[in-house]
Amino acid sequence: MRIDLRGKSLGGRAVLGTVALQVGRGQRVAVLGPSGIGKSTLLRIVAGLDPDFEGCLSGDDRLAVVFQEPTLLPWRTALENITIPTGCDVQTGRDLMARLGLDGQETRFPRQMSLGQQRRLALARAFAARPDILLMDEPFASLDPETATRMIGLTAELLDRSGAGLILVTHDEAEPDRLGARPLRLTGSPATLRAD
Amino acid sequence: MLALWLVVAWLIDNPRTMPGPGAVAARLGHIAASGELWFHAGMTLFRVLASFGLAMTVGVALGLWMGRSRTADHWLNPGLVIALNIPALVVIVLAYIWIGLNEIAAIAAVALNKIPVVTVMLREGARALRPDLDDMATAFRMSRLDRLRHVVLPQLAPHVAAAARAGISLIWKIVLVVEFLGRSNGVGFKIHLLFSSFDVAGVLAWALSFVAVMLAIDLAVLRPWEARANRWRRDAD
Repeated sequence: MRIDLRGKSLGGRAVLGTVALQVGRGQRVAVLGPSGIGKSTLLRIVAGLDPDFEGCLSGDDRLAVVFQEPTLLPWRTALENITIPTGCDVQTGRDLMARLGLDGQETRFPRQMSLGQQRRLALARAFAARPDILLMDEPFASLDPETATRMIGLTAELLDRSGAGLILVTHDEAEPDRLGARPLRLTGSPATLRAD
Repeated sequence: MLALWLVVAWLIDNPRTMPGPGAVAARLGHIAASGELWFHAGMTLFRVLASFGLAMTVGVALGLWMGRSRTADHWLNPGLVIALNIPALVVIVLAYIWIGLNEIAAIAAVALNKIPVVTVMLREGARALRPDLDDMATAFRMSRLDRLRHVVLPQLAPHVAAAARAGISLIWKIVLVVEFLGRSNGVGFKIHLLFSSFDVAGVLAWALSFVAVMLAIDLAVLRPWEARANRWRRDAD
């Protein structure tokens, strides 16, 4: 996956300047910066959710996104939330749920699960897509420290097992280190990326 | 209501214009026994279901399109406003003149009366679709069919249910008018005949029998379906 961004504006304001980033399988990168700097905007461009930018996005790696919110289908059961969007088979879905400590929850609806469980389900869904690169947008925000630590541990474990790369967007200075990711910082206006 | 009816019938004391429940029940038993009821109510029910299916399909598709695309909304909206305000009777008369006095004209006329209402209700629903789930579907490259089935339609379900509920009652009323004006069977046709002979007991018997059918549909089909579609809204139990 490679992005050569020349610029991105939102509502007439230049948010992002020149940003060049290349990530492959097994490489982990964290994009740090205060909120509002354009981290999520950058991630949306990389994920292909925002085609309206100047520059070029290339590479044919499989991407999977873990959004800031769990973003589950509330009218489908936990297991269906993995199998329907990713197209993976039921057994793969069950195995991933079990690995994330969600066994026995397969037939529950998202509303009947805690926020921590919903986030783990979103993580399971992302890995069920067998990504080459995992994109994560503040996935541990608004979790209590204990749950966050557990989620980070599980993410690192699944990344190790699957060999997927990672682009993590966060404002938490400690997270990159805990996931073994190379920290990069988004600064300035319009924001550019530099090594930390 | 039955008591009120009894009192009114007793006060008016004219079985021709205001027959009591007993007379109507006897009449109902008579048409049921002769088999007439099943044939004509069956024809009416067939027309109700056919035009309901047509109106819901076209209305949902149009509403979804207009709610999602600004261009479609811009160009189709004047037509929609006109369609909403054309009296049902005008549509029925024109359909009979242009298409002919046949079944297609009857069903099309009823559906055309209902489509704009469904479209408006579904357009509101389509405008309120959640953008985050759209992003999720795009990010996971879900197919168009999967998106429609698992992401879009479940969000529209409450609007579809409301449109269906409001629709089925409006439709059966219009079906009666269509039958009254240009069909040779169905409950509306029977009421037409009885109207010419001022047979109020007969009119009430036919009308009540079909009200019962519509109530049964609501209780046996629409409500259970709504309850099933809303299972996911329940919190942890």
